[in-house]
Amino acid sequence: MLLTDEEKKMRDGGYGPGMRRSMDLLVKLGESFDAERLVPISYGHIGYDFCPEAFWDKMTEGVPQTPHRVTTHPSYSPEVWKAWGLPLADNWIDEHERKLKRFKELGWLRTETCAEYLLGIFPRKGDVVPMGGSCMQVANNSLFGAKVDRMGILVSLAAAVCGRTPLMGLLIPENRYANHLVELDDLDVSDWTMSEYHCLGYYIGDQVPGFKPVAVNGLPPNLPFDFARALVISMPTSGAVTLAHIVGTTPEAPTLEAAMGDKRPEQVIRVGKREMKETWERLNVWEDDTVEHVAFGCPHSTIDEIGRIAALLEGKKVMTTLLIGASTPVEALARRQGWADIIEKAGGLFLPACPSIANPFTRADIAGEKQAKSAATNSARSAHYIASVGGVKVFFGTEEECVNAAISGKWKGEMPKWK
Amino acid sequence: MEIKAHMVSAGKAEGKAVVYNGPFAFLGDLSPVTGKICMPRHQLEGTSLANKVFVFTTGKGSSGCDFAAWATKKNGMAPAAIICMESEPVLSGAVIATKIPTVDRPEENVLELIKTGDRVKVDATAGIIELDFGR
Repeated sequence: MLLTDEEKKMRDGGYGPGMRRSMDLLVKLGESFDAERLVPISYGHIGYDFCPEAFWDKMTEGVPQTPHRVTTHPSYSPEVWKAWGLPLADNWIDEHERKLKRFKELGWLRTETCAEYLLGIFPRKGDVVPMGGSCMQVANNSLFGAKVDRMGILVSLAAAVCGRTPLMGLLIPENRYANHLVELDDLDVSDWTMSEYHCLGYYIGDQVPGFKPVAVNGLPPNLPFDFARALVISMPTSGAVTLAHIVGTTPEAPTLEAAMGDKRPEQVIRVGKREMKETWERLNVWEDDTVEHVAFGCPHSTIDEIGRIAALLEGKKVMTTLLIGASTPVEALARRQGWADIIEKAGGLFLPACPSIANPFTRADIAGEKQAKSAATNSARSAHYIASVGGVKVFFGTEEECVNAAISGKWKGEMPKWK
Repeated sequence: MEIKAHMVSAGKAEGKAVVYNGPFAFLGDLSPVTGKICMPRHQLEGTSLANKVFVFTTGKGSSGCDFAAWATKKNGMAPAAIICMESEPVLSGAVIATKIPTVDRPEENVLELIKTGDRVKVDATAGIIELDFGR
């Protein structure tokens, strides 16, 4: 791989061991994909709490404050977990505090969200923004036209440290045209909520055998942001799609031709009522109808979503624990609006945490004997990870069904009437 | 029999094969504690990948697959080596960062040639998969 003199200095340890190790990882990854060179990044995004401490320490050792902006994925909140009475919270405090201290020394920004674009931190079309978090990768690629290749949390730290990323994959314009085409087969989407879009995205991600871009054709133009986001972020959960063009909605897909380039699709995926029904069933992994936990905010809630949940919860009390994953600024807006108080009065809780893989209520290594045995969610991504990582029974349904489950402690969700 | 392949992550290892004709995610599919497939209703649910040579199509899933791979390796529950048809950047980053010898793009269809339980050697640095050795 061709390196500039500055990059050679980074690789050879001229800026300390952390940058040397980070550069080594980026070069090895780039070489395995035949990348010609590295490119400078517009900004970086990492998840320090998700990094194993040994890795975090090694990669940040001796690293000076970076000239570029670096932001963060949802973090852990062991002090809050403790205040909520979760028995194993103490085990997490020291490591979290050590990593946070180093994070602050680096001058990085505590955004602590998987939906940074809601804070006004979003890439412009063509910006190079390597990052951890497959849901933000696919959102930034698809909804904003930024250049993000698929990458892991560990590699994203290396990219943030060095301010470089290998020129490969979706950073190369011709690789951004869709290889896979999704056609809706006689599906009426007029009464779909976010959950139906989650379900559709989960099906598509599962059907695409690799990680090449997808074009989804046949949805109404200018799909609302919440729906477009739900559709694209579910794909890298069941699969590896990192760029999904929604024809008529996303910036690189004003038309089907623009999304496909002059390519013929390698695969045409047809989605009809049967596929939607089977996927909805697959996302529901439960035995009896008792619900102990309800998780919203995967990815982190928009202000509109919080407003709808507040309207459903007004004057009610929840029987389950109810967690809304939201960034601190969006929560602050909900508070100003009066919605956070309504939700909290009903017994709901806010946390700038990942409500899926790091949901304190569904993780045995945080909640101990208080771990919920069953959880309801309106997010396919949450359903997938709560069932697999948490080993918890999962109900998947609409926002309204999940709120009702929180109020009654019972699941009364129904299969949507696909039409 | 030797099969040429492309190095993703350097090193060499051998072990019994587990073959799966589908994509794999370190996060969600595999328990880092037991080394077994933990995804409900997965075709391999309950199968251990610890110290095996895991043969599959490609990577999938969240960008957290690399820290899950790290935890699995730290617990001594990671596959000894990986052979996949075509790697993708999250899987490649995971195996490079955690030093699991890995090759992709084999010149033969290993999903057909290798059977679960076969002993397989992977010399990722040299880009060679060896089957039927010592016969």
